[in-house]
Amino acid sequence: MQEVINELLETMMSNQVSVPVIQPVIDMAAQMPMVGLGISFILWTPIFALLICPGLSTLGIFLLFFPWIERKLCARIQWRVGPREIVPWLGGLIQLLADTLRFLFQEVIVHKDAHRPYFLQFAFLSFAAALLPLLFINAGDVIAIASPYGVQLLLALVCLFPLFILGLGWASNSRFAFIGSVREAFMYFAYEIPFIIAVLAMVILFGTSNPILIPDKWGIILNPIAAFTFFVGAAMATSRMPFEIPEADQEVAAGPHVEYSGIAFGLIYVMCYEKAYILSTLMVVLFLGGGSGPDIPGLTVHLGDLMGIVWFLLKVIIVMTTMFVLRTIYPRYRLDQGLTIGWGAMIAISLVALAWSIVFVFMQQGGVL
Amino acid sequence: MKKVTVQDQGVVEKTKCHAAAIGVAMKESVYPLTATVQYPRQRKKMPDNFRGYILFDPDKCINCWECAFICPANAIRMKEAPNKKYYPTIDYGKCIFCHFCIDSCTDSALRTTKIHDVAYKDMDEMVTLTEEMIEPPEIVREDTKLVEYLIDDKDLQMKKTREVDNLFVDEVPPSVEIPVVSQCIDGASCIGCHVCEYVCGSGAISSSIANGVMNMAIDTDNCTGCGLCVKECTMQILKLVRK
Repeated sequence: MQEVINELLETMMSNQVSVPVIQPVIDMAAQMPMVGLGISFILWTPIFALLICPGLSTLGIFLLFFPWIERKLCARIQWRVGPREIVPWLGGLIQLLADTLRFLFQEVIVHKDAHRPYFLQFAFLSFAAALLPLLFINAGDVIAIASPYGVQLLLALVCLFPLFILGLGWASNSRFAFIGSVREAFMYFAYEIPFIIAVLAMVILFGTSNPILIPDKWGIILNPIAAFTFFVGAAMATSRMPFEIPEADQEVAAGPHVEYSGIAFGLIYVMCYEKAYILSTLMVVLFLGGGSGPDIPGLTVHLGDLMGIVWFLLKVIIVMTTMFVLRTIYPRYRLDQGLTIGWGAMIAISLVALAWSIVFVFMQQGGVL
Repeated sequence: MKKVTVQDQGVVEKTKCHAAAIGVAMKESVYPLTATVQYPRQRKKMPDNFRGYILFDPDKCINCWECAFICPANAIRMKEAPNKKYYPTIDYGKCIFCHFCIDSCTDSALRTTKIHDVAYKDMDEMVTLTEEMIEPPEIVREDTKLVEYLIDDKDLQMKKTREVDNLFVDEVPPSVEIPVVSQCIDGASCIGCHVCEYVCGSGAISSSIANGVMNMAIDTDNCTGCGLCVKECTMQILKLVRK
């Protein structure tokens, strides 16, 4: 038993996130019996990835502030003011905190016709499922599970999302929810194939699907077509404004989650932001060089692994913001237009991207490039 | 049958349009042209002839009833005051704020203000009596900034100044461009009913009997040109003419 514990401790201590600037503090804390162990546990790379970045804490902060950023930015572009009344001198920064409080104190109404167990389960399960893909993404050098099939696993887990949304719509047993679910299913098939082909093109180009082994090259320069397809696919997957077809407010109320209220609705409301976050991290890893960035003389030495995380988060913020600004520029497509884009132009472009990657790899092996 | 088709722009033109849209979004996110007036804290600058709450000055009223006659919504009713004169009351439940009453008021007894935020508890309270129209209503001013829209040749701009707008418009003098007076055009038809003398608020019309013949005289200096006698004259022999 003692040997097993020692072995575990050894594994833990050998794989720590190194942050030189706070190393003295960690060393000091290590002298204390339980605190040192706790800090070492948190700084153990898989746990750090899971709990801090890119995992739970980062996601939580993003969910807390990104709806505000989106609303504020869209309001600026559309000549409005946006959220303001809650803490006016911060520009309504904690708007979502207030919303969350409201959601928490609101009753979750399960109406008579709903399938009660699934109606309640799917709302909470979908939030939990949203956390799973974060296991396979790396922020700089920090990753929870480094798998040779990391990108594929991540994609497979991302593809779980629509399943839960279909479940929500089915369990709601309402006409709007049904229509929304069917639209979601239609859109799911329309974007999923070009989306996966675009990722496949990048996997072929890099020759690996392990996120940590993907070189720090900017895939958007190596294969811009794949990047474009991925971006549009991600916009479709998050069902945001230009492709807000399943949740079209004016047509089907709120689509699959029309019947939800209280904290169940709150969880579903932030789900699309979660999805946007996960797809943005994947975009950063595949197309924007992950956690790589220019060397800043004073900082890079002191921050160590954190520097990669900082670059990674900066890029994620840029990608997410770009994704959100789309809704101010484009009006919503009809369902048939969305399907035409998905099954027509998107597949064609993604196939071109795939061909581009194959030619690129052949030219690289032939020594042309 | 002619079929309407979507105009095909071509890839280059479409790409240009997309780029232009994205460019506008980028520009607006950096330099936004916020058009919102945050009302209780800021107030939009209204023009002086803004059609708002109506104030009344009984000293200037000449009892001509023009406001009540012209009101298209029948919101104005004349009520008898203790001094046997009839003064207007306005039912704000009916008023459409056309301000015909103010335009038609000969002696500018009615005048406008820039007040547009008066609240009532019920419909009965909306019937504003004459004595309530003399003093402006009580309103809570929270505004610290005055917002003004400036429209130049390209875009709309908002100018915010840190000042509190005066909601009361200076008294507009009565129409002075074309002074008119009442005149009798056919004295032989006068039946001597004295109606013109009774309705005249300014005492410009006087009557005298000489040799059993009634003579009406109009003092052009005192006549305000309100036209009341013209309206009331039974024989319709009075007329407004230029001075």
